[in-house]
Amino acid sequence: MPEHTRQPNPYREIESTRAYRRLMTAYYFMVKHPKWFGKKVAWITSGGPVEPLYAMGVLPFYPENYGAMCGAFRKSVPLCEAAEHKGYSRDLCSYALTDIGSSFTGKGPLGHLPKPDFLVCGNNICGTVIKWYEIQARAFNVPLFFLDTPFFHDQIHEHAVTYVEKQMEDYIAFLEKQTKRSFSEERFQQVCSRSFEAINLWKEILELSQQRPAPFAAFDAFIHMAPIVTLRGTIWAVRYYRKLKRELDERVRNGVGAFAREEIRLIWDNIPIWYDIRNLSKMLSSRGAVLVADTYTSAWSLDQIDSAQPLKALARAYATIHLNQGLEYKIQKISNLIERYAAHGLIMHSNRSCKPYSLGQHDLKRAVTQSTGKPALMIEADHTDSRSYAPAQVEKQIQIFLEIIKGRDQT
Amino acid sequence: MDRPPSLARVKKEIETIASLGYKEMASQFPRDRSIIGFFCPYVPEELLHAAGSLPLRLMGTPIKMSHVQAHLPSNCCHLTKSSLESLLQGELDFLQGVIFSHTCDSMQGLSDIWARQRRFPIHFNLMIPAHLDSEHSRFYLKAEMERFKEFLESHLGKITPQRMKASIQLFNRIREKLGEIYDRRRKGVASLPGPFFAQVIRAGYLLDRERYLELLNEYLSVLPEKTEESENLIPVYLAGNMVHSESYFSLVEEAGAVVVQDDLCSGARTLRLRVSEDLDPMEALTRRYFTSFFCPTKHKGCRAHEETLLDDVEKSGARGVIFLLYKYCEPHYFDTPDLKAALESKGIPCLLLEVEDPSHSPGQLKLRLQAFVEMLSPI
Repeated sequence: MPEHTRQPNPYREIESTRAYRRLMTAYYFMVKHPKWFGKKVAWITSGGPVEPLYAMGVLPFYPENYGAMCGAFRKSVPLCEAAEHKGYSRDLCSYALTDIGSSFTGKGPLGHLPKPDFLVCGNNICGTVIKWYEIQARAFNVPLFFLDTPFFHDQIHEHAVTYVEKQMEDYIAFLEKQTKRSFSEERFQQVCSRSFEAINLWKEILELSQQRPAPFAAFDAFIHMAPIVTLRGTIWAVRYYRKLKRELDERVRNGVGAFAREEIRLIWDNIPIWYDIRNLSKMLSSRGAVLVADTYTSAWSLDQIDSAQPLKALARAYATIHLNQGLEYKIQKISNLIERYAAHGLIMHSNRSCKPYSLGQHDLKRAVTQSTGKPALMIEADHTDSRSYAPAQVEKQIQIFLEIIKGRDQT
Repeated sequence: MDRPPSLARVKKEIETIASLGYKEMASQFPRDRSIIGFFCPYVPEELLHAAGSLPLRLMGTPIKMSHVQAHLPSNCCHLTKSSLESLLQGELDFLQGVIFSHTCDSMQGLSDIWARQRRFPIHFNLMIPAHLDSEHSRFYLKAEMERFKEFLESHLGKITPQRMKASIQLFNRIREKLGEIYDRRRKGVASLPGPFFAQVIRAGYLLDRERYLELLNEYLSVLPEKTEESENLIPVYLAGNMVHSESYFSLVEEAGAVVVQDDLCSGARTLRLRVSEDLDPMEALTRRYFTSFFCPTKHKGCRAHEETLLDDVEKSGARGVIFLLYKYCEPHYFDTPDLKAALESKGIPCLLLEVEDPSHSPGQLKLRLQAFVEMLSPI
């Protein structure tokens, strides 16, 4: 079977990217100099409830988002090595190693970061964060709030959701103590309203790629997700996603895709390979393949939001995110994504650093292939640490995978 | 007529059960008894026992991996991989079910993969909260325990208050006897070779529990006195993520040391799980996880692991700490650097050994242990 010919496949730059860069530059500037803005800073996990923080005037910083930045700038390896030199095993999550290494060397892209005032950790993404944040709480000698969100293997247990709701009340009390401010219900309602609007906008943006051609590739989503993670609850995230959506709606009206050619539509599972996004995108697009959806960016399109009771709504939403649900849920979700996005196949990143995402992928691959009839490819890597990555091998695997899809299409 | 206690007889029974593989073990159990597997002390064995089943702890085996690669990535710990391999090879077909408890990300993932195999009628996830330092989590755990009890009753039959009380008492007595054995070993008043001690611990997760208590009582009544050789063994503390293993206890003693205390979750750590016999049984079973029992998969405050370990090591009289860790264990490997720093700041030397099972380099392990013990020895 001949190799599917690599041909130029121009990528259409998203014009809103300029506004995106200004927004994120401003955000990181505030993160570097919070006292200039009279802000306390909380380091928080990506699945942690950020809305109460913004309601209390606290600036959130996300070590995972910073880890992604370190990976994208290819600065993660020396930071991981610094953490390993301190005694941490190389087998630990590279986001955690990057953060630990960055904290005591100050050699990440943002240099030395100001010490956080406190930490907020939610284990709805993994159990690793508990240990990671305990380490940082000891290292910085700051308080840690831990939101425990029990995992749902097969069904959502209401007593578990109630447990999370009760902890949200404790969270508010914790924030009042740390900020020496009273919690304002009005302010909180406003922040939640903005958060829910941004979440809905983000969801709608992602869903636009059900169109053919997809106006917005998953690799675009990996970049443009930063505001929904870091600025969720602010008017800036709402404004940015309104702008982005307008641009993408225009693309849909004009039948314009993210790439000039879209012959193969694919779904991506797991965290991106941050240090190789551009290369992977070219690898795929030069062969007419486009990633149209993924399981990572859709984690920030929270379901089940009842805006009438925001605190309870947040508790339920954060307790039931993708990573906090079992294998059967994941199989159904990915099968559903394949169907809704009319995908030809699935690429699964077997991520050495992330067990909640990666354990079960072999069974998931078999189940999804069986239920949808679409093939799946598994590539082994790490989301931030490039030492575990073999790009030449991955390119070969992708090439063969796309040939299989093309061959099936032709028959 | 009762037979007089016999060390030889006790040793034979313990050694037999502790050295059997799963397939050989299956024929030891009565056919009319449900055998339910579990992985860790967060599963209340008392409830399984009160339901009429025999709780059997799955502790990992040195099985050759051939099927597990189709389900798990390579960076999972020995317990996860070997247990799944045993399942896939049919070695666990004698079980009626398995109870998973929420601990680490690997066990969380394993449970769903295991469930998809559909080998057993009984599969349950007991969602122990990760936060064991809060009133809300106590309330939540009680609800989970009730859910577990209802599940067991629907599959195994009614659990009466009398049976619960009897089971709680039985397991408390077992812990007391194990505590006595630990005590006598630590004080050096009895000669208890490490490998056999490890087998005694393991047998407690495999045998009929009434029989196990009988054996412990018999063993305690015939424990030989301390010998001169044991005077010269260097006392060490064993910390780690594995269950008691004859081979590793043997390596430690061959190096000239004796494990006087451990925080392995098969042994001394479980002695903290005594259940109050004065409270409502379900309340008591819940509350005991909020005591001094500590597992690094749980959060009890940022310094809980350090404080618990330091206190235990100091009380044990150990001259050094050996961390014996299976690879790919996030909770332990995240904690170890700060634990080592805290111990060393108190003048307690540490050795970290990263292992697989079976060990790929026992010679190297032995050398490192010997060097460590030599360092701890008085000049």
